[in-house]
Amino acid sequence: MTSDRKMAQTTLEQRPAGGHRVSQWALAWRRLKKNKVAIAGLGIVGIFIVMAAFDRLVALYPPKCILGVSPACQLDGRLHSNSPPGLAYPLGTDITGYDVYSEIVYGTRAAFLIGVGATGLTMLIAVVIGLAAGYFGGWMDNLLMRLTEVFLVIPFFLLLLVFLQVTIKLAPANTGSIWLVVFVIGAFSWPGAARIIRGEVLRVREFEFIAASRQIGASSYRILFRHLFPNVLHIIIVLATLQIAASILTEAAVSFLGFGAPGSNTWGQQMYNSANYVEQAWWGTLFPAVFVTLMVMGFNLLGNGLRDALDPRLRE
Amino acid sequence: MPWILGSGSSEVSALPDPLLHVQNLRTYFFTYAGIVKAVDDISLDVSKGETLGVVGESGSGKTVTAQSILRIVPSPGKIVDGTIEFEGKSLMKLREKDMQRIRGKDIAYVPQDPTSTLDPVYRVGEQLSEVIMRHHVISRKDALAKATDLLRSVEIPDPEIRISQYPHELSGGTKQRIAIARALAGDPVLIIADEPTTALDVTIQAQILDLLKELKNRLNVAMILITHDMGIVADVCDRVTVLYAGQVCESGTVEQVFEKPKHPYTQALLTSVPNLALRKEKLSVIPGNVPNLIEPPSGCRFNPRCPYAQQICIDKVPELEPIGEGRSVHCHRWKELDLKSPVAS
Repeated sequence: MTSDRKMAQTTLEQRPAGGHRVSQWALAWRRLKKNKVAIAGLGIVGIFIVMAAFDRLVALYPPKCILGVSPACQLDGRLHSNSPPGLAYPLGTDITGYDVYSEIVYGTRAAFLIGVGATGLTMLIAVVIGLAAGYFGGWMDNLLMRLTEVFLVIPFFLLLLVFLQVTIKLAPANTGSIWLVVFVIGAFSWPGAARIIRGEVLRVREFEFIAASRQIGASSYRILFRHLFPNVLHIIIVLATLQIAASILTEAAVSFLGFGAPGSNTWGQQMYNSANYVEQAWWGTLFPAVFVTLMVMGFNLLGNGLRDALDPRLRE
Repeated sequence: MPWILGSGSSEVSALPDPLLHVQNLRTYFFTYAGIVKAVDDISLDVSKGETLGVVGESGSGKTVTAQSILRIVPSPGKIVDGTIEFEGKSLMKLREKDMQRIRGKDIAYVPQDPTSTLDPVYRVGEQLSEVIMRHHVISRKDALAKATDLLRSVEIPDPEIRISQYPHELSGGTKQRIAIARALAGDPVLIIADEPTTALDVTIQAQILDLLKELKNRLNVAMILITHDMGIVADVCDRVTVLYAGQVCESGTVEQVFEKPKHPYTQALLTSVPNLALRKEKLSVIPGNVPNLIEPPSGCRFNPRCPYAQQICIDKVPELEPIGEGRSVHCHRWKELDLKSPVAS
């Protein structure tokens, strides 16, 4: 009781001149903060961001440093190839003699590049198609949704492998580039997101404030970009977060199967390089996989938390 | 084209200073179930500074008429016939781009449901200055200042605070006031208010109506007030047009129509208004329902519910007949019936 009265007093005294001016985003952030699992996801992603930004500081050795051979990491002057985890290399070394831990740290940047790059392309396509189909409707909706369905029924992963293989055969000059993998993943991952965005546009389109915008003389494009887009942005954010995780996972799988960019230093590529020696040196394959799992988990937890925080149907 | 065979043009008697002139408007909805004739030969006039009440049951075509005037009829609806003249120029012939200049500037719209009429992601001030900047050459800062003035003019307390708030922080009544402020933002000459009080509770309703009356007197702006409440019409309007099943029953000044209704439907509507003076035990109701607008009744559309219906009412569509003093009636038998008003003193 006393605490109640105390609270009432403080609010009365500290009452601002009027309302509190809280945006929907601030409310969403408050809800997100209460969600411990989502904050854990955010923490994991945050740690990975630090790892990627300061990889030289976090890693034990310079990149591509053969332990015992390269001048920067002489150790005892003996080649440490496929050595089990020890004091000098906490996660062991791979066949070449690289420190598995340091190489994983250097792979973080590539993981972000793949995740964010492929997601950027995916969401760009999905947003354009989803907005256009949902807002204009009619034949445009029909055309775009049938196209989306065509992409949906093709087995995505198989298509990805075939496409990568064909491009490698046709244009060997590009094979070293991770951008090709990013582009292909991005170009084929959009159909699901496009459908969800279209559905959300169909819902938001019926709100009175869209009609009100027309009544005050706003043009179609203004309604589309100023009123519809910000109101479906919450779903785009959630989809993008989950898509980052999916893209990283896809790249790891593609690389592990040997269809990735050979010159790149991604976690999937590290797993692929060590896969033949898994009997002698399981750590070369297992630990990159653990980091893939951790990062994907981080983004998924964050994405699920964002969905709970941003979904207007769950708003109080 | 069956609508050409309809009752034909029936000139509503000329009013002084016409601002909006709607003649033989037909707006149909082309649905899978058939063609819904939501508005089927509606004519109405509004002169400068005048408030016209448009009354009718749900489904009588009130809202579709308003949407047709602004040319924002939602799909699958289409304006199939009629003329809409605003300040002497035909709105039907305007290109969409020119129409956008009229919406919100010359003709403003106050929607029915204030809860969702504001975009949840923008502050109130941004939404008001959006309209102001759309229709005036003005800086962002001045537009915000004007938005504050607008909020003050619709009697919102603390307008400086309100403009930086988001819609979800405001009450229904405040949102409706903001919707009215937004309608005023383009300095319109005509405001179409589509049941502006329906979604509000009774005390707020009275406040909003007082505000509308006050604005009408202060700004001398013409208004079309769409409602199903005869009480609101008596309170706020100068003239009234009664709609039934997509057609006009009668129109005239509020005094004329309330004192001496000419159409049986108007009489029935007035009878069903609660009246303390009559001290009746039960409210009277109009028997039956609004007809199906895909296949409306033949002849006069009110004939299945009309206590005075005769064979001619089933056989022949009545004309909207001007009967002098600016009144017009859409009934075969208005002369012989000589109806009495249930509310006349």
